[in-house]
Amino acid sequence: MVQRVCSLIVAAALVVIGVATSAGAQSPHLDGARKEGKVVWYTSLALQSAEKVAKLFEAAHPGIKVEVHRTGSQRVLQRLMQELQANIRNADVVHTSDAGHFVLLKNKKLLMKYTPADADRLPAGFKDKDGFHYGLRATVSVIAYNPKIVPAGEAPRSWKDLLDPKWRGKLVTAHPGYSGVIATHVLALVNLHGWDYFKKLAENKPMIVQSAVDPPGVVASGERPVAANTADYNAYATKKKGNPIEIVIPQEGVPLVVSPTAITAFAPHPNAAKLFTDFSFSREVQQVLADSEGLYTGHPEVKYPADKPKLSELKLLQVDPEELERRNEEIKKRFVEFFGA
Amino acid sequence: MPGVLLKELIKRYGEDVAAVQNLTLEVKPRELVALLGPSGCGKTTTLRLVAGFLKPDAGEIWVGDHCLSSPAMVVPPERRRMAMIFQSYALWPHMTVAQNVAYGLRFKSALSRGDRERRVREMLGVVQLGGFESRYPGELSGGQQQRVAVARALVVEPEILLLDEPLSNLDANLREEMRFEIRRLHERFGITTLYVTHDQAEAMVISDRIAVLERGRVVQVGTAQELFEQPRTRFVAAFIGRTNLVHATAAGPDTIAQGDLRLRVAASNLKPGAAVAVSIRPHAIRLRDVAMPTGEAGANLVRGRVERAAYLGDAVDYEVGVTGSDVRLRVSALPGLSFRPGDAVVLEVPVAACVPLADSAD
Amino acid sequence: MERAVPVWILAAVTLVVLMALPLGWLGWVSVSSEQGATLAHYAAVFQDPHLQKALWNTVVMAFWVGLASLAVGAPMAWLTARTDLPGKAVIRGLIMASFVTPPFLGAFAWVMLAGPNAGLLNKLYRGLTGSPEPLVNIFSMPGLIFVVAIYTFPYVYIMMVNTLALIASDLEEAASILGAGRLRVAATVTVPLVAPAMLSGFILAVLQALALFGSPAILALPAGFHTITTQIWAFFHYPPKMEMAAAFSIPLLLATALLLQLQKRLLGRRGYASIGGKGGQRRNIPLGRWRYPALAGCLAVLACAIFLPYSMLAKAALARSWAQPMTWDNLTASNFTFTFFEYSATKSAILNTLELGVLTATVGAGLAALLAYVANRRLILGHQVLAFLALAPVVIPGVVLAVGLFIAYTRPPFLLYGTLWILFVAYVTKEMPVGYSQADATFKGVHAELEDAGRILGAGRLRVLGEITAPLARSGIIATWCFIFIGVIRELSASIILFTPNTRVMSVVIFDLKEEGQFGAIAVLGLFMLVMTFATVILMQRVLGRDFMGVRE
Repeated sequence: MVQRVCSLIVAAALVVIGVATSAGAQSPHLDGARKEGKVVWYTSLALQSAEKVAKLFEAAHPGIKVEVHRTGSQRVLQRLMQELQANIRNADVVHTSDAGHFVLLKNKKLLMKYTPADADRLPAGFKDKDGFHYGLRATVSVIAYNPKIVPAGEAPRSWKDLLDPKWRGKLVTAHPGYSGVIATHVLALVNLHGWDYFKKLAENKPMIVQSAVDPPGVVASGERPVAANTADYNAYATKKKGNPIEIVIPQEGVPLVVSPTAITAFAPHPNAAKLFTDFSFSREVQQVLADSEGLYTGHPEVKYPADKPKLSELKLLQVDPEELERRNEEIKKRFVEFFGA
Repeated sequence: MPGVLLKELIKRYGEDVAAVQNLTLEVKPRELVALLGPSGCGKTTTLRLVAGFLKPDAGEIWVGDHCLSSPAMVVPPERRRMAMIFQSYALWPHMTVAQNVAYGLRFKSALSRGDRERRVREMLGVVQLGGFESRYPGELSGGQQQRVAVARALVVEPEILLLDEPLSNLDANLREEMRFEIRRLHERFGITTLYVTHDQAEAMVISDRIAVLERGRVVQVGTAQELFEQPRTRFVAAFIGRTNLVHATAAGPDTIAQGDLRLRVAASNLKPGAAVAVSIRPHAIRLRDVAMPTGEAGANLVRGRVERAAYLGDAVDYEVGVTGSDVRLRVSALPGLSFRPGDAVVLEVPVAACVPLADSAD
Repeated sequence: MERAVPVWILAAVTLVVLMALPLGWLGWVSVSSEQGATLAHYAAVFQDPHLQKALWNTVVMAFWVGLASLAVGAPMAWLTARTDLPGKAVIRGLIMASFVTPPFLGAFAWVMLAGPNAGLLNKLYRGLTGSPEPLVNIFSMPGLIFVVAIYTFPYVYIMMVNTLALIASDLEEAASILGAGRLRVAATVTVPLVAPAMLSGFILAVLQALALFGSPAILALPAGFHTITTQIWAFFHYPPKMEMAAAFSIPLLLATALLLQLQKRLLGRRGYASIGGKGGQRRNIPLGRWRYPALAGCLAVLACAIFLPYSMLAKAALARSWAQPMTWDNLTASNFTFTFFEYSATKSAILNTLELGVLTATVGAGLAALLAYVANRRLILGHQVLAFLALAPVVIPGVVLAVGLFIAYTRPPFLLYGTLWILFVAYVTKEMPVGYSQADATFKGVHAELEDAGRILGAGRLRVLGEITAPLARSGIIATWCFIFIGVIRELSASIILFTPNTRVMSVVIFDLKEEGQFGAIAVLGLFMLVMTFATVILMQRVLGRDFMGVRE
C-alpha cells in the first residue's frame, strides 16, 4: 500500500534553477552518431508526438535518422524480449510508460548506464538511483467524459463514482496488457481501493480498448460517454483539437505515471542513442511535450499551458516501480479475469 | 519408305495391369494398317509406344533397319521422323493455321523460309484449306480443324504416320466423307500408316489390313474381307459385323450338332464330342418357303419357324427358331420375299458360311 | 529416373522448411518441459475456464458463420446461376469484391458503422425512433458473426455456383413433367444435387472463421471475449507462454484437418452432381414478380459487405472526426498527409508489403507451376506426393503456422525471425494450396496432346515447354500470381506474430494503428490496400479474358 503525496518532490523539480543548457557547444557524441547514421527508438509515446520528436531531432541533426517504432508499453517490452530471444539487437533507445519494465531490464542487465546531459536537474521521482533510466515525461491517469452526452453536473467526480450502475454500458477502459499508463493506473487504484474495485467496475461492462491513447477518441465520438481511465495528456490533446471531451481529476487523487527512457546495453548505435537521449531531455523537446502534447516533464524550466493544473496542485498516487514489475503478471491476469479479454 | 515391326511388346501400368501384352505386328512399307478394338484394348497405348511417348517394358519396335524402342533405349518422339494426328487434333490455339502447319518444317534445316511457306501453302491446298492461312484454330469448324491437323502431319513428309481415332469428334456425315479423304491422301502420299479406331466400318473403308486387338493382344490380322468371312475367334466374329454364334458339339470331323440341328461346317478336323462355336453371318443364310425345291447343292437345309420379322427398307431382318433345337438364327433377306411370324420356313446355310471358331472351348 | 533426383531434393527441402520444421517444433514445444515430455500444458490449457471459454466462443462463432454464409450464399448462387434476376453480372462482380476485401478492414469499418453509441447506423436509428437503445451492437458475438459472415459467404457462393452451373435443366424439367411443382422440384431434385456443394461450402466457411484473427481482435476483444486465435496471439504478450500457445494451437490444427477431410469426402462423392454436365442445357427460371424483391435482397447483403463499409472508410479517410457529419469544416486531407508523409512506418510497410507480395507471388507461382506441371504430366515417380505436399498447408491456420515458424526460426540453424524471410516462408506456405490449385487447373486445361503434337513433329521437351506449354499456360500462371499477391497483401493472422519493427507490413501497421484508435490513418491505409487489391484483380481479369482466343472445348 503505497499512497504518497509527493507534491514536495515535484514542486522542487518545478523550481526553476536557471542553468542554461549547453547550447551551441558540440556534443561529444555527434561525430560517432553521424557515422552510425541512425537511432532506433522503441517508444510508447503517442504516435503523433513520437513522430514530432523524431522530426525535431532529424532537423537539428541532419544526416541522422530516427526510426520510430511506436506501440503500447507492454508491446514494446514484448518486442524487445522476443527479439533478444532470437538474438536480434535492434533497439537503441527504449521508452515505455511502465516503470516496472526498467526494473526488469536493469535486473537483466539489458540497459546501458548513461546519464543524459541535463538529467542531474531532474527531480528525484524522475531518476533511477543507479543511473540507468530517467523519466522523459509524466502524465496522470484521469477520468474523461463527453459533455454533449453527460451534463457536467452528472459527470463522475471520483473513481468510485464509476461503480454506479448508471454507467453500465457507458464506460470505456484501456488495457493494462497493452498500456503502461493503465498498468500503473490499475496498480495505484488496487492499492487504494483493492481488487474489488475492478471487479465491480467490470460489472458495468466497459468497452475494452488497448491503448490509453484510444479512450479519448471513443469518448469524443460518443461511442462511450465516459472513459474510466485514460492518460491525461491524450485527453488534453483531444480536447485541444476541438473535440467534445472534459477531463475530471478524481477526488481520491490521480495515479502519477512517470515514463522512463533508457539506452539498451546492446545498442547498435550507441552514440546516436546518447545524442538522441540528450536531445530528448533538452528544454526544447521537453517544452514541446508540454505544449503540444500536454505532458508533464521533469525539466525545471518547462512552462505549462495555463489551462493545465500544475502537478504540485494535484493529489498524486504513486506506485513503486519495483512493485509494478513484481506484480505485472498479477495485474494483467486479474484484469483479464474480470473483464474477459 | 520403311515398314514398322512391333516385336512382342509388353507395357504395364502399375504392378499388374498390362495394357499391351506380347503384341507382335508388322506393317509393310506404304501399307495402312488399322488397329481395331473396343476401348481399353491397348490400341492407343500401342500407338503411343510406336510414337515414342512410352517406353516398352519388354519387346522392340523397329522401323526399317533401326530399332527405335526397347526397354533399354527409346529414341525420343522428336527424332523418329514420324507424324501423328490426335483425337483432339491438338492444334495450338495460339498459332495461326499457317503457323501450326509450318511448325514441323522448322526442324528441317535444309528448307529455306520460302520453301517452307510454299510447302505450307501447297499442303493447305491439298486439304482444301487454301486461304485459311491466317485464321486461328478457334475460328474453324471441326472438319476444318481436322484438315489442318492432317496438313500439319503430312507436310513434314514423315516416314510413318500415326492416327489416333482422328474422326471420332466429327459428326456422322463428315466422318464418312473424311474416311474417303484420308484413304485418298494415303493413296497419294503412300506413307506407312498405323490407324487406331474402334469403328469397324471406318477400319474397313480406310485400311489395307486390320489388326483386331483384344486385351492387349493382336487376335487376328487380315484384310477386311478375311476378317469378315474367316473370323478366327468369337471376339473377332462378333466385333466385325453382325453374326450368329451357334454353340454346339462336334458330331464328326466336319459336322456339328445341337438338338435336332445338324450342320456341315467349313472344317474337316473337328474332334467328335468336342464343344464347337460356329459363326454364321445373317446375310449368308437364305430363307425359303417349305414348299420350294432346294437350291444350291450341298448346302445345309434347316427347318424352322419365323419368330420375328422387321422391315428395314433395303432388307428384312428375321429371327428364326430352328425346329428341334433351341438355336435361333438371325437372317437378313431381300425384301422381295415376305414371311410372317409363325410361318414355317427352310433355311439354306452354305457350308462355307459356317465358320468354326478357334476359341470354341472357352 | 535419375532426372527426378533434383526435383525430389528440392521438394524434400521445401517440405522440411515450409512444414515439417515448424509443425515439428510446434508439436514438440507443446509437450516439452524441463523435466522431459509432459502433457501438463495441454492439461493447463483445457482446464483453464478462461481458455475453455475461448474455445467455446470459437466453436460458436465458426458454426454460426458457416450457417449464415450458407443462408446468404446459397440463395444468391441460385439466383445468379439459374434465374432471370436482373443485373447478375454486377452482383457477381460485387460478390467477388467482397471475396477479396480484407475482413479486418470490413470489421474496422463496421466498428464505425455499428458501434452501439457512436456507430452511424445506430445514431440514425436513434434519431429516427427516439429509442435510447442501439439497433445493433457490433461489439458482441452476433456482431462478430455478422461481420465475419459477410466476407465469408462468397466461399459458399463459389462452391454452389460452380455446381449449379453443372446441373442441366433437363434434370429439373424431368421432375416437372412428372407433376412436381416448382418448390417440390427444388426440394427433390435441385437441393439434393447441390447438397454436397452446400455442405462443403459450409465447411469452407467454418474453416475461414476458425482461422480468422483480425475480426475477432477488432470486435471480440473490446467486448471482453477471446477466440482461439486472439488467445494464441495473447500468449505472445510478455512474458510469453510459448508452450501454451503451442498446446492451444494443436486443437485448431486438428479441427481444420478433420473438417477438410470431411469436405474432401463430400466432394469425392460429388460425381452425380455433374450428371448431364455436357449436353444438357440450362434455362433461366423466371422469377416473375419476385425479380425485384430478390434483387433488393442481394443488394442488401452487398450493401453490408461493400457499399456501407467502403463509404465509411472513405468518410473516415476524409474527415477530421468520423463520427461527425460530413461538413466542410470536417473535411480534411490531414489523414492522408499524416499517413503518407508524417507517419514513418507507412513507407517501409508499403515497401515491405510490395516486396513480399511480388517475391512470394513470383516464387510461389513458379513453384506451384513447376509442381503442377510435373504432377500433371507425370514426369517423375511419385508425382502424386508432390501434389499432396503442395495442398497440405491448407490445413494449417495462419496463426498456428506463425507459432510454428516463430519457434522454428528463432533458433539455429535457421535464424529467420527479424527478417522478411520468415514472412516470406509463411506466405509461400499459406498460399501454396491456392497457387497449386490454380496452376493445376491451368495445366489440366492445356491438353497433353498439344505437347505430344510438338514432340512428334520434331521439337524437344524444353522447346515444347517454351513454345507451346508456356504461351498456353501464361494467362493461368499470371492469374496464379495475382491470386497469391492478393492473398499476401491482406495477410494478417500470421504476420501479426512474425513481424518485427523493421519488417512490418501494411496489415500489421493497420492493426497497430487500430490499437490506438487512429481511425483516419487506418482508413487511408485501408483504402490504399483496397486500391492495390482491385488493381490486381482487374489485371488478372484482363489477362484471363484476352488470352482465351482459340481454345476449343
